[in-house]
Amino acid sequence: MVAALCLAGIALNRGEPINSIWLVLAASCTYLLGFRFYAKFIAARVMVLNNDRATPSERLRNGHDFEPTNKWILFGHHFAAIAGPGPLVGPVLAAQFGYLPGTLWIIIGAVLGGAVQDFVILFSSLRRDGKSLGQMAREEIGKVGGLTALLTVLFIMIILLAVVALVVVNALKGSPWGTFTIAATMPIAVFMGLYLRFWRPGKVLECSVLGFILVVLGIFAGQWVSVSSSLAPVFTLSGVALAIAVIVYGFLASALPVWLLLAPRDYLSTFVKLGVVLMLGVGILFVRPQMQLPAFTRFIDGSGPIFAGKIFPFCFITIACGAISGFHSLIASGTTPKMIAKEWHAWPVGYGSMLLESFVAIMAMIAACVLQPGVYFAVNSPAGVVGTTPQAAVATVTSWGFPVTTGDMEGLAREVGEQSLFYRTGGAPSLALGMAHIFARGGGGRAILGFWYHFAIMFEALFILTVIDAGTRVGRFMLQDFLSHIYKPLGRTSWLPGVILTSALIVLAWGYFLYQGVRDPLGGINSLWPLFGIANQLLAAIALCVATTIFIKMHRARYLWITCIPLAWLVTITFTAAYQKMFSSDPRIGFLAQADRLEAALKSANVAAVKVAETQTLIFNARLDAVVCGVFLILVATILVDSIRIWVGILRGTREARITEVPFVLSRLRPEEL
Amino acid sequence: MKQLKIICQLLLDLLRELGDQNAYQRYLAIHGRKHSHEEWRRFCEEHLGKRYQRVGCC
Repeated sequence: MVAALCLAGIALNRGEPINSIWLVLAASCTYLLGFRFYAKFIAARVMVLNNDRATPSERLRNGHDFEPTNKWILFGHHFAAIAGPGPLVGPVLAAQFGYLPGTLWIIIGAVLGGAVQDFVILFSSLRRDGKSLGQMAREEIGKVGGLTALLTVLFIMIILLAVVALVVVNALKGSPWGTFTIAATMPIAVFMGLYLRFWRPGKVLECSVLGFILVVLGIFAGQWVSVSSSLAPVFTLSGVALAIAVIVYGFLASALPVWLLLAPRDYLSTFVKLGVVLMLGVGILFVRPQMQLPAFTRFIDGSGPIFAGKIFPFCFITIACGAISGFHSLIASGTTPKMIAKEWHAWPVGYGSMLLESFVAIMAMIAACVLQPGVYFAVNSPAGVVGTTPQAAVATVTSWGFPVTTGDMEGLAREVGEQSLFYRTGGAPSLALGMAHIFARGGGGRAILGFWYHFAIMFEALFILTVIDAGTRVGRFMLQDFLSHIYKPLGRTSWLPGVILTSALIVLAWGYFLYQGVRDPLGGINSLWPLFGIANQLLAAIALCVATTIFIKMHRARYLWITCIPLAWLVTITFTAAYQKMFSSDPRIGFLAQADRLEAALKSANVAAVKVAETQTLIFNARLDAVVCGVFLILVATILVDSIRIWVGILRGTREARITEVPFVLSRLRPEEL
Repeated sequence: MKQLKIICQLLLDLLRELGDQNAYQRYLAIHGRKHSHEEWRRFCEEHLGKRYQRVGCC
C-alpha cells in the first residue's frame, strides 16, 4: 500500500517540487514486495532451492575460493563487488529527462529484471560448481555461445574502461584541487602497499584507516594547492593531458605487481565506497531534500543536451547498472557462488544485493535532482551544445526554461573551490555537487561545501580508477589467453615481454576511445555512454539467454516468462538504440549521419585548413563507433539465434535436454561452522 | 544491546572479509603455519594473483 501510494505520489505530482523521501519510500517498499513475494516465488517454485543440498563451498571447501560464508557477510561482499560507478553516473545523466522516467525504470527494472538476472545466474552457477557465465554459455548453448560471450565481455570492457576514464577526466579537467587530491592517492596507495608488505603484513584494516586519513589530508592539501600561485598551474590540466595521465596509470597498474598499487587502492576504494554510500543514505534520510528537477523535462523528445535521443530507448540504456547490468552476471558466476553456504542464501545475496545497488541508483538520482535545474544543465552540457562562453551557456540553458545566471555559476564554483563549473560533462561533478549539498546541510553548512564537493569527487575518482586498473589487468589476462593460441609464450603471465605487450594493447584499445571522447566537441559522453549502456545490457541479454536455456532444461518451461520478459525488453531497447545510434539521420544521434555531415562540410570547404586533419579523425571515429555498435549487435544476435534454436529443439522434443547440474549431495554443514 | 553487538561483529567480519584478513587466517589454518612476513607475501601472491584475473564490475 505504501509503495503504491508513494509511486502514485511521485508519478502524479506536477507543478511543485516533491520531497525526496517519496522516492526513498516508493523504492524501499517496492523492493520489499519484490524480495518477499516475487523473489521467494522464483526461489521456491521455479529454482526449488534446497538447503539440504551441499553447495560447492561445502563440497569443494579449500579455504581459498571455496569457503562457506555467513550470508550477511557474503551479502556485503557481493554488493561491494557489483557496486561500481555505473549506478551513480547513469541516473545523473538520465535526469535530463526529469526524475520520473529514470526513477520508475530503476525500481521496476531492478525488481523484474536486474535482480532476477543476478539471482538466476547465481543459482545456475551454484548448481554447477561456480562455473563462469562463459563456461555455462558454452555448456548450455554451445561452443559458438561460449566464444561469443567471451568476445563480448572483452569488447564491453574496453568501452567500459574508456567511458569511466572519460568521467574522471571530465571531473578533473581544469581543477587543481581535484587533480592534486587524486594524484595524491597514487603515492598513498604505494605507501599502503609497502606498509602491508614490509612493516605490518596482514593488517589491512589498520593500513586502510591510515590510507583514509592520508586521503582526507590530501583533500585539505588540495585546497592549499588550488590557491598556490606556483603549484596550481602544475595541477591545472587539460582534458588531453589528463587522458594521457590516466592511460599511463592504467598501463603501470596493469604491469606492476598487484601488492604495490592495485590491491591497496582496491582495499581503500572498497571501504570508502561502502562508507560513502552509507553516508549518502543517512544524509538523504536526515536532510530530506526537495527535488528541484521536474518529473519530466522538454528533453524527452530527444533533443537533450547531455546525450541525444528520445526517452525510448535512451533512458533505459543510459541507466544500466542501477536497473539491469550484464556485468553483474560475471560476478554472480564468479566468486560469490563459491562462498554460498546454503542454497537459500542465494535469495538475499543474489536478489537482495541488486536491490541495494538499485537503491544506490535512486540516491544518485536524488543527488542530481536536488540541484537547481539551470545549474544541473549548465554543469552537464558540452560547449558544442550550449555555446563556448559562459554567457552563451547560461543564455541557452535559460532559454530552455531553466533559469541560471553566470553569477550563480561563479558563486557556486567559488564555494566549491573550482575555477569554473561549466561544461563539466560526465555526471561526476553534478553528482558531487548534489552530494556536497546533502552532506553540507547535514553538518557544516555551505562553509564546507568545497570540502564535501572534493570529498565526493575523490570518492568517485578513487573507485573509478580502481575499476580502470583492475579492468585493464583482467583485459590483459583475457588477451593473453586469446593470443596464447597464436604464440604460446604470450599466454604466460610471468613472461615480461608478453605482459608489457598485452598491457599496452589493452591500454591502447580503451585509451583510443578515451582520447576520442576527450576530443569530441559534443563532450564524448554523448557517444560513449550509450555505447557502454548498449553493450552492458546486451551482456545481460546473453545472461538471460543462458538462464532461459537452463530453465527449459530443468523442465520449467511454464515459468519462462520470468526470464523471457526482461530478455524481450532488453533485446527491444538495445537493438532499437543500437539501430538509432548507427543509422539515425540526426547527426547528434546517428554515428553514420555524423560522419556524413562532417564529410559534407569537408567537401564544401567549410572546415578551416587547420581543422581538416581533426575533422577527418572525427569522421573515422564516428564510423568506428558505428562498427563497434554493429559488432555488439552481431555478437548478441548470434547467441540469441543459437539459444532460440536450442529452446525450440528441446520444447519440440527433437533435442535432448541434458542438464549439467552436479548431482545431489546431502549437506552436513552445521550453522555454527559459519 | 545483544543484537547491536551481533550487528557490530558482523560488520567487523565483513570488513575483515573485504580486507582479506579472514582469507589470510584461513590460509594459515589450512597450511598449519604461523603468521610472518614471508607467509603474508606467499598468501598475497596466491590470493591476489587469482583475484585480479577475474572481471570486476561497472
